[in-house]
Amino acid sequence: MINAAINKWLLAASMGLSAWAATASQASPALPVLEPEVSDVATLRLDVPHRFFTSGWDGDSFMIFDGDSGKMEGSIPAGYISNLAIAPDNSRFYVSETYWTHGARGDRHDLVSIYDAKSLHLMKEIRLPGRALVSKVQNFDINASGSRAYVYLLQPASSVVWVDLKQQVVAGTVEIPGCALVFPWGEQGFSSLCGDGSLASVSIPESGPAKVTHTRPFFDANKDPIFDDSFVDRVTGNAIFLSYSGLVYPAKLGFDTVVDKPWSIQQAAGYAAAGTGVQELAWRPGGSQLAAYHKASGRLFVLMHTGNYWTHKQGGTEVWVLDTKTHALLSRFPLRPAPTSGLGDDKAPYYQSMGVSQDENPLLYLLNPEGNDLVMDAATGELKLKIESAGGHMVWVPGY
Amino acid sequence: MSKSPIDKIGEQLTRTLAGYSSRRGFIAKLGAVLAAAPLLPLLPVARAATATAPKTDFERNAQTKDDTKCTYWKYCAADGVMCSCCGGGSHTCPPGAEPSPVSWIGTCLNPDDNRSYIIAYRDCCGTPVCKAGKSCQCDGADRELPTYRAPLNNDIIWCFGNASATYHCSTAALVGLSGT
Repeated sequence: MINAAINKWLLAASMGLSAWAATASQASPALPVLEPEVSDVATLRLDVPHRFFTSGWDGDSFMIFDGDSGKMEGSIPAGYISNLAIAPDNSRFYVSETYWTHGARGDRHDLVSIYDAKSLHLMKEIRLPGRALVSKVQNFDINASGSRAYVYLLQPASSVVWVDLKQQVVAGTVEIPGCALVFPWGEQGFSSLCGDGSLASVSIPESGPAKVTHTRPFFDANKDPIFDDSFVDRVTGNAIFLSYSGLVYPAKLGFDTVVDKPWSIQQAAGYAAAGTGVQELAWRPGGSQLAAYHKASGRLFVLMHTGNYWTHKQGGTEVWVLDTKTHALLSRFPLRPAPTSGLGDDKAPYYQSMGVSQDENPLLYLLNPEGNDLVMDAATGELKLKIESAGGHMVWVPGY
Repeated sequence: MSKSPIDKIGEQLTRTLAGYSSRRGFIAKLGAVLAAAPLLPLLPVARAATATAPKTDFERNAQTKDDTKCTYWKYCAADGVMCSCCGGGSHTCPPGAEPSPVSWIGTCLNPDDNRSYIIAYRDCCGTPVCKAGKSCQCDGADRELPTYRAPLNNDIIWCFGNASATYHCSTAALVGLSGT
């Protein structure tokens, strides 16, 4: 019976093919028959100058885009509340992620997974003792050379797991009570922001115990806290910390971390420095990944909106471009309000997240809650591309 | 001698915690957080809004009738999908989900009685995220602080000590009066 059924199906299929062939030959008899195609697999180029990566807060992959064409180049698989680090030589992608063996239940597995950056083949899974489930760019990062990874862990006590990426093993855990996140500097250290308004700086030698120092408190975490989304140049330790009200604290991170006096981005723009009044209308920084930093030029890009205090999650209607060396405002790029459903937490969904490429002709990548995403020239603010649904809440770029 | 607001909240939260969890491992970890308490400044509940204080943008638009809207008064620092849209209520997990034994904290002004109340934002955990519509995805930010002030941060998945740390939705349980 089965053979009979297969024979019937083959007969029907061949009749269909004959009919199709007849139609094709009637349509364009002069054209040659197309060559058969081979099913193959693409690889990623390693020399894309304006590549960027995005994800959603509960996304199951990172998307890779060419910022010049706007085309998706591929996707990196990822688990729950995942994060991404890119090797300094662009040869590897490191994904910190969490899985349960049965979807949302079963045994929990916290991992750093290593992918080849050309084939996107999984090379190694390193099992972690845990990781913080919070969608912040600085909950995972690598050191200057890419030989170590640091994973922020919240259970809910705070610690940092460090991973030897050469040996591909977990090398140790350091407690950072009252502090959070990782801002790596050099080969052996990182700093964390602390609830008492200080920075903790942790140095972990190749062998022997870790050493921890604290700066004096330099900001008020209740009145004007520093955003989680701050920046460090891993090679130099030069860091930029931005507060809710719009104060920029330059710092040199290291075992003896030094924090300079803050300056106001509103004053740089010719306004009074913004205060913390709940009915004090001012230009204010806000969003999810609300700022981006171009290391070579020292330019800081901040998503700004007009609002009262406690609007620090509201997206930007402008990008302000600031020179962190001279404390000057260089440009203001207005952002058109994107189409909106008018529902949810952000009824006028301006731009929530932003990244900037690190080359000499940088591009800005802007993400909107409803997927009306943009690529802009970072020098002029010229709109280069619109990309539909490029990603969720976070942007990564190579070379940072 | 009357107790300070912070003492009251601590007592109420401790009772709640005792009611939810007997997992010793988790309690030990929570103990490590409490041990770090000297490094943490006081919770901002002591400086909570009063009837005469200027109102935040959220407080100006808050309402007490519809807990399926992001303007519902207890959601002033809520972040996530509201359980009231998912088969639960403003302080009730939907069937099958498990409340987290710990929470983040907010202070919200009730527009009807003009009093400020402490709200415990407790995630419901252990099942995939609730797929309610965008109008139930809220992100209140009144007095919300960064990750390094974890008990006041609403970006963290607050599913510690649960069988599974997957996030389903968020609730807002009234704990008591603030600053009285």
